[in-house]
Amino acid sequence: MKLPKTRRSLVLLSSLLLVSLAGWGGAAEKNPQSVQVTIRSILAANKSDEFDAKLKGMEQQLKSLKYRSYRSLKDDTKTVPWQGTQSFEIPGGRTLTVAPQEFQNNRIALKVRLTENDKPIVDTTVKIPNKGNFILGGPPHEGGALVLSISAATP
Amino acid sequence: MTNCETIRESIGGWLDGELSPGESDSVRAHVANCAACGEVRRQLEKLHLALKDQLSAEAAGIEFLPFWRDVQQRINQKQAWHEELLDWCRDFFTAPRIAWSVPAVIALVLAAFSLDVYLPGWRFGGARNNFAAVESIDAHGRSVALLRENESKTTVIWLYQDQEGENEAAEDATKSGPAF
Repeated sequence: MKLPKTRRSLVLLSSLLLVSLAGWGGAAEKNPQSVQVTIRSILAANKSDEFDAKLKGMEQQLKSLKYRSYRSLKDDTKTVPWQGTQSFEIPGGRTLTVAPQEFQNNRIALKVRLTENDKPIVDTTVKIPNKGNFILGGPPHEGGALVLSISAATP
Repeated sequence: MTNCETIRESIGGWLDGELSPGESDSVRAHVANCAACGEVRRQLEKLHLALKDQLSAEAAGIEFLPFWRDVQQRINQKQAWHEELLDWCRDFFTAPRIAWSVPAVIALVLAAFSLDVYLPGWRFGGARNNFAAVESIDAHGRSVALLRENESKTTVIWLYQDQEGENEAAEDATKSGPAF
């Protein structure tokens, strides 16, 4: 069955519009202005079996660390421009400095430095999926270990 | 094909009033002057008359009132939801509307590709691939382990305390530290 000319044009225009929107969306993804970085500080210990309800979304990730208890100490979210740096105060007099490097293939490259009393503990460069996270842990804290969940998302 | 044959094929249409005025005049003129074609006309007229009488006699015996009442009742009858849905589907999937499936399919494909961006972890059957690619680590002389936890698809960078740690409690913690 042949479509009327106007309807055919309408269908064609809609298809073109969708494809253009997709292209525009893809281009927009490539050039975000800044990154939203969230640092969750968690105390992992073996003194009790407490699991902080605030950490429910991370349960599977944390349980793999094999500690018995997990308590949320601090959540901090900051917007960081590309090539800029932002410092986050971490419990225990530590500081985490995050510098977003680039955004490619829906992955965010981050330079991360953890310091304690101005002495560097670790420097790392990681590429994490947009809206994803990685875990940096181990520094001793209040009889347990400090676990940092470092996540980044483009707005 | 002779002229008579052509005319005879048109006589039925002429009697039913289906021909154009020009064609009707031509057939009428030929039938008036051709005995054979005039006979065909008479035969056809007889047949028409016989059929008309028969149909009129049959129609007189049919009661149309109950028929129209039934039709009216069907028009006014409220359809069940599944019948309405069936009608709607039938209307929707008629050929012109099928054409809309082209942009609809494009939209669905785009949506599927975009879901991971807007709804992380939407995939069925397992966690989203959250693995991070670690390009460099400098633990400034400390021991460090890089682990990829498969169940939650998480990358873990774990720093180990030196054996001569300053804090005993911390030492305890790292000794009983993660087994992964």
